[in-house]
Amino acid sequence: MDLDTTNWSGEGAFTQVLIDAFQGLASIAGARVEDASPARSDVEYNFVSNEVFVRFRTRDRTVRAKMLGIVPVIRTVSETVMKLTDLECTLGDIAGVGPPDYADEGMLQYLRTERVVPPYQTRGYKLVELVRVYEVGTAPRAPEGS
Amino acid sequence: MVVGQREPRAGRWSRGRGAVTAVVTLAVGAVSLFLLLPLTASTRPAVRDITLVVRDMAFYLDGGGEPNPTIQVRTGETVQLTLLNRDPGFKHNLTIEALGLDMPHLETGASKRVRLRAPSRPGRLPYVCAPHSEMMRGVIEVVGSR
Repeated sequence: MDLDTTNWSGEGAFTQVLIDAFQGLASIAGARVEDASPARSDVEYNFVSNEVFVRFRTRDRTVRAKMLGIVPVIRTVSETVMKLTDLECTLGDIAGVGPPDYADEGMLQYLRTERVVPPYQTRGYKLVELVRVYEVGTAPRAPEGS
Repeated sequence: MVVGQREPRAGRWSRGRGAVTAVVTLAVGAVSLFLLLPLTASTRPAVRDITLVVRDMAFYLDGGGEPNPTIQVRTGETVQLTLLNRDPGFKHNLTIEALGLDMPHLETGASKRVRLRAPSRPGRLPYVCAPHSEMMRGVIEVVGSR
């Protein structure tokens, strides 16, 4: 699997778990991971937001058709071997990943939260990780300024 | 015949008095209208519209890019506050404890409008999304009227 992490800071443990899961799936040809713009932090929380764009493998299929409705021809059509809804089902069966917290026709969304208490501190902070998975070519949600 | 000659005089007098009464009534009516007309116009200041859009687990002013912004209102000012949830997969609300406001939790795409009156004294009123209060919190700053 081709992995592009040039626009990812590497923050987000669950994002890494997702990438590892993708690398084990033969139907995924590549993935691009990016930091999402709304990532932010405060004394009480650290909000990490990542976007993963996956590219599914394709297979060629021959289709019989008629050119101009008269001449029979055979065309080769390229189609993906998996769709985002299939990926949702597949990920749901993978231990450590599970089903997304939210899914629609164009996006899978995972939210992971944990309280991190650094050494010698009592209260710590909340680590919130939001990961959105899209198919390559899909525009991410909630653009800046919307 | 004498009586017959007096009748037209009485009629003229009556008609003349009626005309004077009508003119006086019209004049009084016109003056009253002139005096009362300004009172029919609204003396209340215009209500300001503030729209808070929720996306990526944060409040944004409509068209703004700053998460959980500080919103300035004047003392005693009435504002119409609209909350619009554009965060896929999350229910959000708006709670301003100091004003006794606790909006219902809105589904993605839903919105709710409320009218609020700022306190008569300057101060800072925290606003939060109740289920995500650690990450989604801002301040309404009440400043003195000019």
